[in-house]
Amino acid sequence: MNAGFEKRLFVVWLALSAITIAQLGVGSLEGQAARIPNAAITAGAILIALVKVRIIFREFMEVRHAPALLCRLTDLWVVFTGVTLLGGYFAGLAFST
Amino acid sequence: MTSTAGGVPDEPSSPLRKIAWHWRHDEKRELWIGWWTLVVFYNLYGLLFFVIARTQPPPQPTLAPSEIAQWFDDRRHGLIYGYAIVFIVGGATAIMNATLAYTMRRMSVSRAFAYSYLVIYALATLPGMLIMGVVCTVGAMRPDRDPELMSWLYDFAFLSFEGTMGVFLIGSLVWMVAVLLDRNRVFPRWFAYLNLCNALTEVVVAPAWIFKDGAFAWDGTIAWWINMGVFVTYTTAFLTLLRRMILREDFGTGPLPELARDEAQEPSGSLEAAR
Amino acid sequence: MTSVAGTPSSTSDRTQAARFVPGQPDMWAFVLFEALVFTAYFTVYVFNRARSPDLFLESQTHLDLRVGVFNTLVLLASSWFVARCVQAAREGSFRAATTNAFLTMLFGFVFLVSKVREWAAEIEQGFTFTSDEFFSFYYFLTAIHFLHLLIGFGVLAIAVHQLRSPARRSQETIETCATYWHTIDFLWVMIFALLYVMR
Repeated sequence: MNAGFEKRLFVVWLALSAITIAQLGVGSLEGQAARIPNAAITAGAILIALVKVRIIFREFMEVRHAPALLCRLTDLWVVFTGVTLLGGYFAGLAFST
Repeated sequence: MTSTAGGVPDEPSSPLRKIAWHWRHDEKRELWIGWWTLVVFYNLYGLLFFVIARTQPPPQPTLAPSEIAQWFDDRRHGLIYGYAIVFIVGGATAIMNATLAYTMRRMSVSRAFAYSYLVIYALATLPGMLIMGVVCTVGAMRPDRDPELMSWLYDFAFLSFEGTMGVFLIGSLVWMVAVLLDRNRVFPRWFAYLNLCNALTEVVVAPAWIFKDGAFAWDGTIAWWINMGVFVTYTTAFLTLLRRMILREDFGTGPLPELARDEAQEPSGSLEAAR
Repeated sequence: MTSVAGTPSSTSDRTQAARFVPGQPDMWAFVLFEALVFTAYFTVYVFNRARSPDLFLESQTHLDLRVGVFNTLVLLASSWFVARCVQAAREGSFRAATTNAFLTMLFGFVFLVSKVREWAAEIEQGFTFTSDEFFSFYYFLTAIHFLHLLIGFGVLAIAVHQLRSPARRSQETIETCATYWHTIDFLWVMIFALLYVMR
């Protein structure tokens, strides 16, 4: 296998895994702290997830080498999802019981 | 492609004469009748269920018997007349299903696909249209019926309509496999994958049997609204693809020829090309 | 969606110069459509969650974040292997490609077992589909994802079938299968963040 590509894929995988392991840090919230809505953690979780997904799109799924249309469509999905998720979260909080 | 010894007259320009001309000379007239039946029926179905009978979007499962009796009362005439029309034209589904099964016959795959699709979708008219129609008209017929009984009819109508998706699931998968195996390129591969999406939505609606409110109830955001979005996309897609297929049809058994760009707009072009 | 590069004369040309759509464009249409449907599901979940934060947060404490992290790592690894598989196949190293494809399946299977065990443990503790709103969404999202995973095994089998016989090897088919598998991975990345991490 082309060594350059092999290395790149390995680094990408390592990075994605590292980010995921870092998210264990959220688990350090104990007791009452774990039961309060935390907009910062939520927004962070959603955004980090979208960053990971975009990396998967561009590196694993090779969108990096794809025609502009596909690059834009995948980016559009990432942005759209971010907007609707964050929007849904804050809208929900506004209507919360 | 045939051209008669006596010559086919030129296609007239006025709309009525055009239709008469197609009736007499177009070899694909049966296919077009099938296609137009599909288009008209789906639109009529939407009108009857959503506007006249107003059974869709579905009401809440959590209504009390007295509220349910009120619901039937509010819609009495719409239910009776709307579903009367459904019962009269319901047989059109035979033409629709035959047209869709025809697409599978044109494929290089076994005829068994077309036949199984026909059987599945013939059965599907019961939960997909008729049972709800019968139950709702029964409910509307005697407004002074015991509200507890009305409540039973209400559950029966909506669960049979929203919850019985197994037939559509398998039907979609049959079509999907047929398209993937087909060497005649009748439909593009993305349509096979769209069948998979449609099939998966049938699974998503299953929780409607369990939940009486929330996103998974028969009127839920997920079980109904999102599913309906996928279904409308799916239906629009296959109506469009079916039209293209009919335009491309050469009545052969090999790969279906692709359309030239201008042919996609003008159906009469197919006869021009034959001369 | 159009495929740009067509069939290149050599694999190295393809990876360097021309832009290409990995696998069938049709599969990409499916991926984007499914992703959109899942975005809709996620939005409904997030909105409902934010409306009843106490209930959701309380129920969420019964999920084990470590298991979620483990599952995510497993799927990321499986994605890595299938990406390697595609690269190997592209360069003609079909034995390596097949090995990578089997590794993908293996890690997919590890996820499957882990998920089933997690569900079993939760059910045993009394948290079922109908326990409360959080768990309805939890089981729904993980189950519909699981269904995609099961289909994924079939898709990988097709890829392996392609790799094993010289007569059938279609780079496009292998890439198409990989594209599907990556979808399972990225959907899980979202699900993990929404069910296990967000507060």
